[in-house]
Amino acid sequence: MTERAATAAPAPVDLPYRIVWRSRSVRQGAHRSTQSGAGGIFRDLATLLEYRDPRRIDLRQSLRDPFGTLHVRRFEEKSEIGVTVLLDVSGSMAFEGSSRKMKLAADLVQVLATSVRRAGDTFALYAADEEVRDELGSPPTRSRAGETDMIAALRAYVPERKGASGLIEAAQRVGRKRNVVLVISDFLLPEDQLVALFETLSPHDVIPIRLVDSHENARLPSWGLMQLSDLETGRRRLVAMRPSLKAEWQRRIEARRSFFRALASRYGREPFEITDTIRWDLLGAHLATGA
Amino acid sequence: MNLALSTPWVLLLLPLALLPLLFSSQREQSYPSIGGIEADPLSLAIDWTLRIAGTIAIVALILGLGGLHRLGRTIEKSGEGAHIVLLIDRSSSMDNTFAGRAPEGGEESKSAAARRLLKDFIVHRDHDLVGVAAFSTSPMHILPMTEHKDAVMAAVDAMDREGLAMTNVGRGLALSLDMQEADTSPAARVIVLVSDGAAVIDRKVQDKLRAAFARRPINLYWLFLRTAGTPGISTVPAPGEEDTPQAMPERHLDKFFKSLGISYRAFEAENPEAIALAISEIGKLERSPITYLERIPHEDLSARVFAVAAAALLVLLAAKLSEVRLVSTREEA
Repeated sequence: MTERAATAAPAPVDLPYRIVWRSRSVRQGAHRSTQSGAGGIFRDLATLLEYRDPRRIDLRQSLRDPFGTLHVRRFEEKSEIGVTVLLDVSGSMAFEGSSRKMKLAADLVQVLATSVRRAGDTFALYAADEEVRDELGSPPTRSRAGETDMIAALRAYVPERKGASGLIEAAQRVGRKRNVVLVISDFLLPEDQLVALFETLSPHDVIPIRLVDSHENARLPSWGLMQLSDLETGRRRLVAMRPSLKAEWQRRIEARRSFFRALASRYGREPFEITDTIRWDLLGAHLATGA
Repeated sequence: MNLALSTPWVLLLLPLALLPLLFSSQREQSYPSIGGIEADPLSLAIDWTLRIAGTIAIVALILGLGGLHRLGRTIEKSGEGAHIVLLIDRSSSMDNTFAGRAPEGGEESKSAAARRLLKDFIVHRDHDLVGVAAFSTSPMHILPMTEHKDAVMAAVDAMDREGLAMTNVGRGLALSLDMQEADTSPAARVIVLVSDGAAVIDRKVQDKLRAAFARRPINLYWLFLRTAGTPGISTVPAPGEEDTPQAMPERHLDKFFKSLGISYRAFEAENPEAIALAISEIGKLERSPITYLERIPHEDLSARVFAVAAAALLVLLAAKLSEVRLVSTREEA
């Protein structure tokens, strides 16, 4: 019951996130940037000829210069970044175990959207199953208009379509400018599609967030008959579960997971795994390290 | 297998039996992805077992509702035996003992002894077709050729009734021949004549009998229940005595039978033991191959079909009871 209480806990308003790279955006924001300017953290010194801002002349450095060159201090500008959420709304996300995966996803999107807009960054959402679902997504914007509707639509949505190949197409839409891309999915895609997805996202700062339910792995029953229907492919299978088969299943699931983790680590950040409930503090820490 | 249904239209429901093959009886549960996990052989086997059990259960229930039964039928079998006509003398002298007087106390009359021994004989002849005819003044058609032992027993028992006056062997034989005539099977034919005396056969009747016997081979046995002190079959008249059918009917009847050119044996019995001996002798002789029809009665199979259905349903019930939920309903709430 503690788990349920945690699920019901109000989501934090702000989720800190940080990047280790420099934004190339010219728009003012909250992140480290390649732009130089007047405010912010001191970056370097330049001659007045290089950087014609006599208001920032560094007197001490200029006096120390035996050649009498005038030095000007340069400061790092803070810029905004684009944050894009790729949301998998394929059939497998309809799984209801300890919690509804779609509810977790909607919670995440809501908190992320709020945090991103409060930070002044651009937020975009692309939802995809076998194709990009434009009616669920939102184009890159800093406006909060329509955010409530977007979240409500996500909460109400029941995934039914098979396949998540649309994520690759959505990834192509993110654009050329380096974005923080949060991929929220259960990552139960075929291996070749997973590779293609990460390949497409390689210009961006990718943060995979994997939604797992303990009922699909750790809390599988040890004995009994189960008629399972694959949410992703629609295939049905009768499973006579027994400890040896359970161990085999868990081994397969773990193999699939480690393949995904290796792939994600190669192309971006370590994936963050959400099992049953969102541990906001851990997620915040994960996003704030920026690594 | 002659199977039939009492209400055949229930067969219209048979397509329902395909349902378990298409749909599982288990409650379907969603699982994110079973890709990458091969189906294990045991689960597959159980899956198909359950589907087939479902099909069997439905088919069996439909057949049970339809009232499956096996039709009564007759099958041809081959064994050893013969088609026998028992031609029994019903003259009143048969009610006497071998000593020639009315039975008293524990004494057994000739007819009673013959009856007992004939019944014993019939019981042990499994595949025979037996007809019963009697004769006294005129022949009596008592029982047509039949395989029903009970009927034959009853017919033989009917010899119990008081006998009639005369002995008319000729017409009795003619009737027996007629009874055999109706039967066209290639089985061995036997007439067992049981009498305690003989009579003159009319010359005309003799000719007819001769012609009838010539038409097809028939084995004739004459069980002569001789009363003590009366002339026997092989009694040769003393010199000077008359040797005519009227004076010595037994001897002349025997001679007539011998002249027919058929397989014929006479047994002279003067006591029940001799009758038993003669009858067992006949039993030994008549062991030719015979094809006979065995009747198998109508059999209701619905109980068995329902048992099959119950067994299949038990399998399904066991599967249902061993079903587990991936996510327990308590948590879902």
